[in-house]
Amino acid sequence: MSAWRSAAFAALAFGALAGCKEQISSPGKCPALCPSGHVQLADTLLTTADVSDTSVRGFVLVREASYLLASNLDSLQSLVLVRFSRIDTTWFVTLSSGLVDTAYVGNPDSVVLDLHLVQRDTAVKGLKLLVYRLPALFDTGASYASILPYFADSTLVDTVPISDTLQTGDLPVRIADSLVIAPADTGVVSLGIAVVAAGKTALALGSGNLGTTAPILSTYIHAKAPLDTLSHVTSVEPSVSLFVMNPPPGQPPTGVLALGGIPTARATLRLSLPTVVVDSNAVVRATLLLNTTGPAGGFARDSFFVFAQPVVRDFGAKSILWPDSTVSGSVLIHEGQTGPVALDLAPILRFWGTTQGDSTPRLIVLRAYPEGSILGSVTFAGRVAGALGPQLRVTYVKPYTFGLP
Amino acid sequence: MTPRPLCLAAAAALAFASRAPAQDSVFGIRGLGFPDRSVSAASAGTGGGFALFDGAAVLNPAALSTWHGTAGWAVAAGSNRSFDNGSGSTSLSATRFPVLGVAGQIGPRIVVGVTVADYLDRNWAVSQADTVSPRGTPVAAQDQTTSVGGVSDIRLAMAYRLQAVVLGVGLHALTGSAQTTVIRTFPSDSAFLPFAQHQVTSYRGVGLSLGALATPARSLLFAATVRFNGSLRASSPDSALTVGMPVEASGGVTFQPVQGLLLSGTVGYASWSSASSALASSGEGPARNVWSVGAGVDVTQLHLIGRPLALRLGYRWRQLPFAVDSGPSWLTEHAVAGGIGFEAAGGRATVDVTVEAGSRAARSLSESFVTAYVGLTIRP
Repeated sequence: MSAWRSAAFAALAFGALAGCKEQISSPGKCPALCPSGHVQLADTLLTTADVSDTSVRGFVLVREASYLLASNLDSLQSLVLVRFSRIDTTWFVTLSSGLVDTAYVGNPDSVVLDLHLVQRDTAVKGLKLLVYRLPALFDTGASYASILPYFADSTLVDTVPISDTLQTGDLPVRIADSLVIAPADTGVVSLGIAVVAAGKTALALGSGNLGTTAPILSTYIHAKAPLDTLSHVTSVEPSVSLFVMNPPPGQPPTGVLALGGIPTARATLRLSLPTVVVDSNAVVRATLLLNTTGPAGGFARDSFFVFAQPVVRDFGAKSILWPDSTVSGSVLIHEGQTGPVALDLAPILRFWGTTQGDSTPRLIVLRAYPEGSILGSVTFAGRVAGALGPQLRVTYVKPYTFGLP
Repeated sequence: MTPRPLCLAAAAALAFASRAPAQDSVFGIRGLGFPDRSVSAASAGTGGGFALFDGAAVLNPAALSTWHGTAGWAVAAGSNRSFDNGSGSTSLSATRFPVLGVAGQIGPRIVVGVTVADYLDRNWAVSQADTVSPRGTPVAAQDQTTSVGGVSDIRLAMAYRLQAVVLGVGLHALTGSAQTTVIRTFPSDSAFLPFAQHQVTSYRGVGLSLGALATPARSLLFAATVRFNGSLRASSPDSALTVGMPVEASGGVTFQPVQGLLLSGTVGYASWSSASSALASSGEGPARNVWSVGAGVDVTQLHLIGRPLALRLGYRWRQLPFAVDSGPSWLTEHAVAGGIGFEAAGGRATVDVTVEAGSRAARSLSESFVTAYVGLTIRP
């Protein structure tokens, strides 16, 4: 390439580059140097936007919850039931000769139960956990009433005091020298846990679900002769861990939007919205106005979120939710809270105006968050409550007129 | 002329990053936009005085006859401006490409050329601060309206050499688009989401230009041109508007009192009032017929480091056609310019550099500017 061609190419390339890197601020003085169009906001209250609603309980079951609830509250009693995995009767040892031998469980030294305290009411002092021996293969579908007879003095294994200063943390407790396991139980031990305190209270223990620490039963033992000088620790986690409540949770009553609790409840609202609200990105704020039907439940002074998500496919209670957390709304609820609650739905209405959300049903699901990890619950009035039912307040930009030329 | 697709993509990305789009003059918000000056860097250096005699400019098709052989040229113009709205000032800058072109001789008498030039610039952005109370509680709002694009003039022209006269004819296609975007933002700690909406407006039109160069004496050269424009159709997805376009006429003279010294002057007129009725129907202010004047001097027998060097000086004045308010208030622009030109690559390339300083004003609104033109002409 000759010199002048190189120079020309370089000059043009430089010019093009410079031309595309410009950057300018933006002045203006109205009305002379402003566009003719104006951004105009409109605000409207859609009192009948909720055309149907329902609430269903059972999304996160007791056995799937991240906590085990023990409670002696007047409003809710709860007992923890744990069935541990089979405790081995042998283990393998490597002898000094290098050979591997089988050791058999001999004399037990002690049994330690490791619990993890997740949550408690620190205002209530003198907490104690009562550990009971349950039938190894207790009925996992047992009710509070059917299991209560096993929580008797005759089956009490130990009483575990909890320091008044402990809010959360591990509770390793030596509960017995040994636990006799009948041959028919094939090494399976089941325990029940109840709580007592100076006052009525409730507490949560880790269940092993959703990343929490599970109860662990450890047995310290010596082997049978001739290896009786060898000691060993056998630790087992639960194969079943759950709790039973009184009164038992039931389906929410008709006309009430129940959220949270355990098993967890969710509410579904079908909305009917004007075209201007849905078919554009003009919504700048949308607020779902709800009214509680009673104080929000949960641990004392605890809080949780009410979370709204759009439905991608409507399969009733098993509807598929849109997984993008940015397309959602949330509001914080405190235990004992009553009155009106405002939940932001603007991202969901915006989503319905996109090509992705355009074909999705105008359904939203309300649920407690973190679902299955909190005891919190709240109930709102449904549409049958009339003026107290859900209403939607929408602020949007009226169609903007750009004009020509 | 702006290489629109490339620059639009880049500008869009930059605009998203900083929310500060490019603009040529905020006065482009009025009427059809800001009328561009599609002159070469050399002509700009003489205040446009030589534009009617300049084959690289778009004004006179007969001026293509100044090319002997094949030539291609491009002009880049970077400007810095200070806009004062009466209560404050803002610094702005932009880089445009007013003219790109190529021409070639067909036989001894005919030269044909194609040029692409800016005609109407619609790059602007304005911001407005406001406080709104849609739910009874006041909340701050910031509106920014941005336009990116404009109307380009694509010309296919021919010049025909006679004895002492050159005649020219050019066919013009006006084409382009502008994307207007309005964005409303609220403080990040408010419960309100931002809002954005955009519209693309397309522009189509045609024109015919006729021109002539005459040499009554060795030291005297006259030029004249007239351009007839059809209507410009502006269309968006929802509506369309047909705007009457002006008849543009210009005349000029070049005089060479001594060897190596050229004096030139140009007067132009454009009947932009033809756009008034359509603009009024869309709520815009009126348009007026406008005059423009340019005069300059070109000294061609200087040398720098053994190479020929052209030195140019000029002054120009023009009226701008679109009222800035319903008053109406009219813009007037004037500028002084100076520049140099030198050859490179053994005479196969010419580089022209011009710096122009001026201002435009209407009542309390004013904008001063300094524009640097760099022109590159290649004759392979």
